[in-house]
Amino acid sequence: MFNILGLQEGEEMKKLMDGNEAGAWAARLADVKVFPNFPVTPQTELIETLAQWKADGLFKGDFLDVESEHSVMSAAVASEATGVRTFTATSSQGLLLMHEILYIASGMRLPVVMINVSRGLSAPITLWSDHNDILDQRDSGWMIFFTENNQEVIDLTLQAFKISENHKVLLPCIVNLDGFILSYTKEPVEAPNQKQVDKFLPKYKPLTYLDPKKPMNLGVPVMEGYMEFRLQQQAAMENAREVIKKTFKEWEKKFGRKYDVIERFMMDDAVIALVSVGAMTSTAKAAVVEARKKGIKAGLVKIIVYRPFPFKELEDALNDVVGIGVCDQNLAPGYGGILYHDIRSLMYGYKRVINDYILGLGGQQAPKEKYVEIIEDLLECTGKGESGKVKYIVD
Amino acid sequence: MLEIRVHGRGGAGVKSCAEIFGKAAFLSGFKTQDFSLYGAERRGAPLVSFVRIDKEPILERGYVTRPDIIIVLDDSLDFKHMLNGSTEHTLVLINTSRRDKLKLKNSKNFICVDATSIALETIGKPIPNTVMLGLLVKRLKDKITLENLEKAIEEKLEKYPEKVIQANKQAAKIGYGRFI
Repeated sequence: MFNILGLQEGEEMKKLMDGNEAGAWAARLADVKVFPNFPVTPQTELIETLAQWKADGLFKGDFLDVESEHSVMSAAVASEATGVRTFTATSSQGLLLMHEILYIASGMRLPVVMINVSRGLSAPITLWSDHNDILDQRDSGWMIFFTENNQEVIDLTLQAFKISENHKVLLPCIVNLDGFILSYTKEPVEAPNQKQVDKFLPKYKPLTYLDPKKPMNLGVPVMEGYMEFRLQQQAAMENAREVIKKTFKEWEKKFGRKYDVIERFMMDDAVIALVSVGAMTSTAKAAVVEARKKGIKAGLVKIIVYRPFPFKELEDALNDVVGIGVCDQNLAPGYGGILYHDIRSLMYGYKRVINDYILGLGGQQAPKEKYVEIIEDLLECTGKGESGKVKYIVD
Repeated sequence: MLEIRVHGRGGAGVKSCAEIFGKAAFLSGFKTQDFSLYGAERRGAPLVSFVRIDKEPILERGYVTRPDIIIVLDDSLDFKHMLNGSTEHTLVLINTSRRDKLKLKNSKNFICVDATSIALETIGKPIPNTVMLGLLVKRLKDKITLENLEKAIEEKLEKYPEKVIQANKQAAKIGYGRFI
């Protein structure tokens, strides 16, 4: 895992990296000053990598091992409040234990950046991936980015710092990657060099910070003014839309890799489309290619930025198709798939067939063939005008 | 695309087997993807690793359900499970010293080698992965070279003493020579 230690400063590299290593690289290149952390599978190797780099003098930030995830996020809030760039990583139960403090970070407008390595929630215990952990935080006031591969992990985490720290935004951000399927998968990744990153992401300049010479209080009781603060958070999310687009453009110009809040895959002449997030999107894309060979005009829309929710871009993309199949790697018992209801609500007023496919809970394998079946089912339902179906894809 | 599945027990180098092969393929100019699936247990528990290699970008992720090659590092595991998804075209490389007792059907594409004994002689530990990789690379000789496999072993084991690296390279060479 640590055979990249020989990398010289300013050197670019393309090498095999798993998702945890890509996340660690983003933290190192971003010159993070404080890294409070607590290990949890499948995020542990991200911490181990930074710990090794710290021991070898390659990671300059403070490595703060505290006693729980609740304390991790509390320490992250405190350190970011003093005006230094702060990063952490967690997973699953750990993220839930942070839940209370997530609202404090966003309410205090502290641009902490965190990687969540998705894993299904207990009980029963699993170590494998689904999205219930991250989607549980969707209303916490954090920006949420989903990644499909390890290149996106390193690229989007570095961009998350720039977006979060923008004075028009000042919101924390979670970059989500799937446990095992990305965290333990090695694939070729291009890491930008330190000089390039320094130019793209200069030293963090806080708008305001805790300073003993100028005493100030953060997060005090406001009672009557509370709603104003909440509305400012909403306004900051709206501002983030433009800042995200601008940052993505700058990244493309400097590093040559293009990002947008959603990705359209084979959508130009598509009649039906899948909607997907995260690593399973890759397999879904392979199924779209397969379906095209069978003469089915299928496409796929991937959501990258989930908060702020990309209303306009998604509406534009899905407006062009007749049938929409939402792939939900999550389940809200008594409600259904979470993304499905997002899309239903978004497409209110359009006459579209919209069906829900719930799959891959706790990392249950959904191979390409399953997605091809989903596409065929969606095509059939679209032909018959059968909308509002919820289907559970089980082995 | 070439899809490979490695079965074995934690501690026998299952994960490293996939990782080293992924590296060797990467060094040979392929797009690669390798990963492992396991639970909370570690040594001795069943473990499965996967490698996908292709000249084109790889879209599929997750469990390899239709393997082109299966590597069995431990013959005490359930063969029905390990051979799942295989066809008559699947190459199956088995580390075993008791081929006759395994009662394997459809054994045309089954190649058995006592890799544990070779590993004990060369490395001094019952870790058969590099022997099996030597065997596999011989089979794929036009695509991935023994040189790149040796380079991958060096990279993966760089934290280990030179003696261990050399022993593993030697084990790979013996495996390479064993292909019939």
